[in-house]
Amino acid sequence: MSLLWTRTRILPFVIFVLPWVILGFMSPSPSHGASYYEGKMVTIVVGYKPGGGYDRYARLLAKHLPKYLPGSPVVVIQNMPGGGSIIAANHIYAVAKPDGLTIGTFNNALVIAQLIKHEGAKFDITKFAWIGSVASDASVLAVRSELPYKSTDELRKAKEPVILGATGVADTSYIFPQFLKEFAGFNFKMVTGYSSSSDIMLAIERKEVDGRAGSYASLLPFIERGLVRPLIRSRVSAPGIEKLPIDENLATDAKGKAIMAVRTAPTLIYRPFVASPGTPAETMKMLRDAFARATRDKELLAEAEKAKMPIDYFGAEESLKVIHAVLNQTPEMVQEITKYMQFGE
Amino acid sequence: MFDAFIQGLLIIFEWQTFLVMLLGIFLGFWVGLLPGLGGSTTLALMLPFIYKMTPVEAFAFLLGMHSVVATTGDITSVLFGVPGEGTTAATILDGHAMAKKGSAGRALGAALMSSLVGALIGALALALSIPVVRPLVLTFGSPELFMLAIVGIAFISSLSGQGGRALLRGFLAGLLGILFAMVGEDPQAGIQRFTFGQLYLWGGLDLVPVLVGLFAIPEIVDLAVRGTSIAGELPEGKLGKGVWEGVKDTFRHFWLTVRCSLIGTFIGIIPGLGGGVAQWISYGHAVQSARSAEERSGFGKGDVRGVLGPGAANNSKEGGALIPTIAFGVPGSSAMAILLGAFFLQGIMPGPDMLDKYLILTFSMVWTLVVANIITVAASLLFLNQLAKLTLIRGSILIPFILFLAFIGSYTSNNHLGDLIVFLFFGLLGYLMVRCHWPRAPLVLGFVLGKIAENNFYISTIRYGTSWLRRPVVLILMILTLVVIGYPFIRSRKRAVAAGAVT
Repeated sequence: MSLLWTRTRILPFVIFVLPWVILGFMSPSPSHGASYYEGKMVTIVVGYKPGGGYDRYARLLAKHLPKYLPGSPVVVIQNMPGGGSIIAANHIYAVAKPDGLTIGTFNNALVIAQLIKHEGAKFDITKFAWIGSVASDASVLAVRSELPYKSTDELRKAKEPVILGATGVADTSYIFPQFLKEFAGFNFKMVTGYSSSSDIMLAIERKEVDGRAGSYASLLPFIERGLVRPLIRSRVSAPGIEKLPIDENLATDAKGKAIMAVRTAPTLIYRPFVASPGTPAETMKMLRDAFARATRDKELLAEAEKAKMPIDYFGAEESLKVIHAVLNQTPEMVQEITKYMQFGE
Repeated sequence: MFDAFIQGLLIIFEWQTFLVMLLGIFLGFWVGLLPGLGGSTTLALMLPFIYKMTPVEAFAFLLGMHSVVATTGDITSVLFGVPGEGTTAATILDGHAMAKKGSAGRALGAALMSSLVGALIGALALALSIPVVRPLVLTFGSPELFMLAIVGIAFISSLSGQGGRALLRGFLAGLLGILFAMVGEDPQAGIQRFTFGQLYLWGGLDLVPVLVGLFAIPEIVDLAVRGTSIAGELPEGKLGKGVWEGVKDTFRHFWLTVRCSLIGTFIGIIPGLGGGVAQWISYGHAVQSARSAEERSGFGKGDVRGVLGPGAANNSKEGGALIPTIAFGVPGSSAMAILLGAFFLQGIMPGPDMLDKYLILTFSMVWTLVVANIITVAASLLFLNQLAKLTLIRGSILIPFILFLAFIGSYTSNNHLGDLIVFLFFGLLGYLMVRCHWPRAPLVLGFVLGKIAENNFYISTIRYGTSWLRRPVVLILMILTLVVIGYPFIRSRKRAVAAGAVT
């Protein structure tokens, strides 16, 4: 009986535990050597579900970053969706260790959430250890090509309201035309409640709505196909639409212009990447270098172009400059912005 | 056109293509079985692997994987009462009930065979609708989508059981489901509804933890209380009729299977209805097809038709969902949204070109759906009788395993503690509902359709005022709603009259 007892106690140990112990001894000890990342695993926390834009950028980087990080660590993705990526930002800010092994990417508009003092945001965005942003994005307003609006003037003079589809009131699809309506006298009518931007494209196709505002990169396939025509863009631009009128220049008063500028600013650092506050400077240097070099990698650029994901890298300093510019507002201005902008999923 | 049809078939039998398709099928098989791995998440994970493939190979790989997920997801649903995928939960109601009666083999046979029939019909619909796809999809605007959701909700009347009391419970459960659908940020004013200050709830309740909790926990409790195996209700060691019986069932109720496949295809075609809806409406339709009150009360207790309906629909919808993705570049489901990314990676612009320049590729996708499902079902049939024996294992050994699957399955939807709380909350609710004889299907129906109904109602009213009420398709769907609601009553009255005439 006792023999059986010992046998049954030891056998599982031999099978399940011992191999791991041996493996543990065999794997290189991570502490010595100059290559900090050797034998380690870097996790990129993504504030959205798999398949979306933030996720696709993170996965593209996860594939190419190991080449440029000393010691070629494994880079994996962890999706942490919820709260318009505030959950992920809060996690990176307060929970993840500042060791450069956990980095994160979240909604560029989180800086607006902080500006309007959104209660869910438990971070100071300026205190993250910023790596930078890998892409910027222009917002454009596009309407169905067959409509008689060929220029901004024609659009502004529209007698019937131009109907624009939107997902929610906190989204670019709503805020961008809302500002034009409020501050530039456009005759727009927004219809919210579509479940995704591609649903709006279908609504445009079946003439339920006349157009939509949104990311230029996501509208590009439909512009190329001739379904819609872009008419107005944001100050942050993209190749090919430089000549379109800028929304800020259409505003009739200074207040409107200033509010539009605040909305646009974060889209310059559309795909931000950060590490936890307090990450050692030398680790940050490795991360920043790796991002800077990976975003110039030929293979990465080729893949990004195929997938229609624009790449323009902004370093940590430039990114923080944008952040500070957005946050540097007078209390009256903050009040105005709070009136017109919301942050949401 | 016919040339392209044949070439599409030949092209997927080129050896590299066929090989990557087999690999895709193998992956999809496991993804479907395990509740923790969702079909769309896995698609996203597999995207980087297609950079080096040709378009035909890439889609054979991705669609091969994607098209078998719903098929094998049914297996987990039937055997353990844990939905293998969010889209296979409806199979639990009768499939798992059959497993408890010792007919797991038959239920599995029926689920797989109906899946195959569903996939074939979905693929056929995809092939046939290629010339008419654009007007078909464009007919369904927001007003029509709203009415479709109402038609779906109307199925509560047949899912509620007999008598005034049962009907009342059914409608209350349905309303509760709609209430749960309201959780989260509303798109019209940006107000947080029922979120209790929790960021986790902003995006609303996730389908997977809700369904897993609602269905798996009552089964686990039941299994623990009975202290037997899953098939404990019959003398030990004697399973009922096996897989072939289930296969035959599919053909015994062939027209039901076909009708449910068509329902699934149709729901797949219409973007914005979502993958969770098809199975439940088909289940409602299967219940409705019962000829008498006694037959209807057998549903939920192990009627094979309750397996055939959702089994067929959750496969046929994939063929349908490809249609808007291909023809408009507008995805019909979250999995299709990821597939759209694959089109871009391959340098292909979905849209009118797919029906012209890339017609052979389009047909190769149709054929992939067909071939992948035939292979999966054929391979599964070989060992389903063995799988069915799992229902003879003692409960105390199985419970930790099932619980583990249920917890992991819930947690992976957001990787958040909130997933587990939602899972446990709905587990408790599900348990109470079962104990008090409240039907769970209407709750799920309300939950999956509530948001669709709300958003499209709002869009329709803002956009068209009240004039949308006069659109022809809306009127037709209104009549259909009345038919769906009234059908059980008309039928029972007819019976009564007929019975009266005899006596």
